[in-house]
Amino acid sequence: MTDKTGFSLKLKSDASQRLAVVLINVFIFALAYAILRAPAFVSLAFILLVIVGLLAADKYRIIAWVYDLFIRHKKLAFTVAFLCAMAMPLLFAPKSSQYIAHIAVMACIYSMVCLGLNFQMGSADMVNFAPAAFMGIGAYSMAVVTVNMGLSGWIGILAAIFFSCTAGLLIGLPTLRTKGYYLSLVTMALQLVFTQLIKNIPYFGGPNGITGVKSLSIGDFAFYKSYTLFGIKLAPHVPLFFFCLLILIFFIYIAMRVGVSHYGLSLNTIAQDEVAANCLGINCNRRKLFAFIIGSIFCGIGGALNAGLTSFVGPSDYTFARSLIFICMVILGGMDNPIGVVVGAFLLTVLTEKLREFADYAQLIYALVLVTVLIVRPAGLIPKRVRNYCALFNRKLRQLAEPAAPSVSEQTFQSEN
Amino acid sequence: MVPMGYLLDLIGSAVLLGCTYTLVAIGFSLFFGVMDVVVFCCGDIAIFGAFSILASYTILNGLGVTGTWPLLLVILLLLLIGILFCAVLGLLTHRFSIKPFEKSSALMPLLSTIALGTVIREVIGLMFMPVTNGVADMVAGENAVHVVSGRNPQSFPSLLSLGGSTAARNIIIVLVTVVILLLLFLFLNKTKTGLAMQAISQNKELSLMTGINVSRSIVITFVIGGVVLAISGFLVGSYQTIMSFDNGSMFGIKGFSAAVVGGLRNTWGAVLGGMLLAFVEVMVSGYVPNGSAYASILAFVVVVIFIVFKPEGIIGEKTVEKV
Repeated sequence: MTDKTGFSLKLKSDASQRLAVVLINVFIFALAYAILRAPAFVSLAFILLVIVGLLAADKYRIIAWVYDLFIRHKKLAFTVAFLCAMAMPLLFAPKSSQYIAHIAVMACIYSMVCLGLNFQMGSADMVNFAPAAFMGIGAYSMAVVTVNMGLSGWIGILAAIFFSCTAGLLIGLPTLRTKGYYLSLVTMALQLVFTQLIKNIPYFGGPNGITGVKSLSIGDFAFYKSYTLFGIKLAPHVPLFFFCLLILIFFIYIAMRVGVSHYGLSLNTIAQDEVAANCLGINCNRRKLFAFIIGSIFCGIGGALNAGLTSFVGPSDYTFARSLIFICMVILGGMDNPIGVVVGAFLLTVLTEKLREFADYAQLIYALVLVTVLIVRPAGLIPKRVRNYCALFNRKLRQLAEPAAPSVSEQTFQSEN
Repeated sequence: MVPMGYLLDLIGSAVLLGCTYTLVAIGFSLFFGVMDVVVFCCGDIAIFGAFSILASYTILNGLGVTGTWPLLLVILLLLLIGILFCAVLGLLTHRFSIKPFEKSSALMPLLSTIALGTVIREVIGLMFMPVTNGVADMVAGENAVHVVSGRNPQSFPSLLSLGGSTAARNIIIVLVTVVILLLLFLFLNKTKTGLAMQAISQNKELSLMTGINVSRSIVITFVIGGVVLAISGFLVGSYQTIMSFDNGSMFGIKGFSAAVVGGLRNTWGAVLGGMLLAFVEVMVSGYVPNGSAYASILAFVVVVIFIVFKPEGIIGEKTVEKV
């Protein structure tokens, strides 16, 4: 970018930087809380505000500034974000806000699936049209293990991981020979075949699906059950919400680590030019399989948790239309940026759930959002960041030279592209 | 033993189904040949054409035109309306889903046309929400399909079944498909515009230098694609007799699969691919017990096998990718 009129707030002292980290974190989570809590149209206004705000923030490089600040105070930022995230279930704990807790858990689960899809679509530019099928494989594993076999939910989760991993491998293998449209067509075919198969196999309940899926539990402590604490009746989602948040944080961590590792880098290289990547000595097959397998495991776990949440699996939940919704979330949030993907998933999930009365228009809205985002801003709300290895290196050098903490503004901001 | 007549019946219905797949597949290969992008809303454009014909038939019926005018004139008028709608839709597709992504990765137009297809589908679904359908009453009389809520399947006017016989309708469908194929072949190979379109598909820069008006040719391609898709929508509607707003998505995926199996870029490949897919589907549902549930599954398995082992299609040149 050519204009240098970026945002630069000089925070000289270490304490002020730390304060800024805490305040920004609290602000982000307060905004998420407000979006979840507000009634439909206020929530819609908030979502629009967030979208406009993020676009403006990116224009004036506030996002880059926040990123740099957070990376500088990594431990503090993570601790505060973790605490804020863990406070969310408590805020929605009372039974009265049960529905909002439900939306929040769904947002967590969809974020997991989108993070999985992001490995293929964002990092490696392989548009996978079957995230819902992978999610469905996880959900059906959970359902079959807990209902048809009567085993514990944890074995269901393990089965979900195993089967989605196998499916990812099986789908990944043919895609090694294909690319572009052909790969997309293979995944589309998989998605349609999955829905058809599930509908036609009586063991999986046919079109009616399987009801009564058990959620997870540790001993007698069920994850989806209403407890009474200090005389307040809690929403049944609370333990599951905690669990989903923990898993989501773990997934975001994995996604970010993969992003900065040589795996993420080589996936990006494959996205740019596969032949060139091959010439550079990157084992394209292995990397692509990795993207498919890790992505489908994320989707599978998301599906298993979703089955536990709704205690029902049916073919209509894991259709091509649902896959399109996930693609829409990833593109809106920002491809190849885990935080962006989670933001996109959160915004669109809340949008759909809040506008339940207009469910007839939901699919139309998704498609219009997708068309608009693709034309207006294909990079998404929070575009992917250029890896800042250079800054890391510089910081190490400077730390060696003078042990004093430098201020944020002194650091040259990495320009995108 | 299964009697011979049964096999002939199956072959007949496979050819019919193949014709409907072929017409959509031609749309795909036409667009892909000239623009090098997959326009994924072909199926939805075709279904939109069918629904616009259905709607205008209802209006004409309301005006009392259908009874007084000769049937051929009515059909031509309806086709003209459908073609007009689809051509406009083709232009809109080009404007909103293809043109903005000329410089970006090839997957962007794929995504945006899928999204646009969803928009078209949902718009059809929302427009045909009302239950009452004069056409259904008129055509099917007592047996008219009435669904109380939701996005109803609509019954398509059976204009082609002269005297109520499906045999005549089937022959007309096959004949029209063949005529369209021939016309398209002549257009692409004998007219200057068609040759220009082929030149663009070979090399865009070079054809620009030889004085071909590339942007005009692209617009013409989309108009012609719209025309072909409108006619295919009409034929599909006549063949299936009952249409649902979301037929376009499956129809589009089948058409694209047919084009890929036959070889993208190649018009005859689209015919071969469409026929192959249709034969697989019909034979499976005809001979395998409870096969109709698995027919499209097997068709997709065939597609995947083709993509993996022969990605260039039945007739298509193998390309080696360079850096």
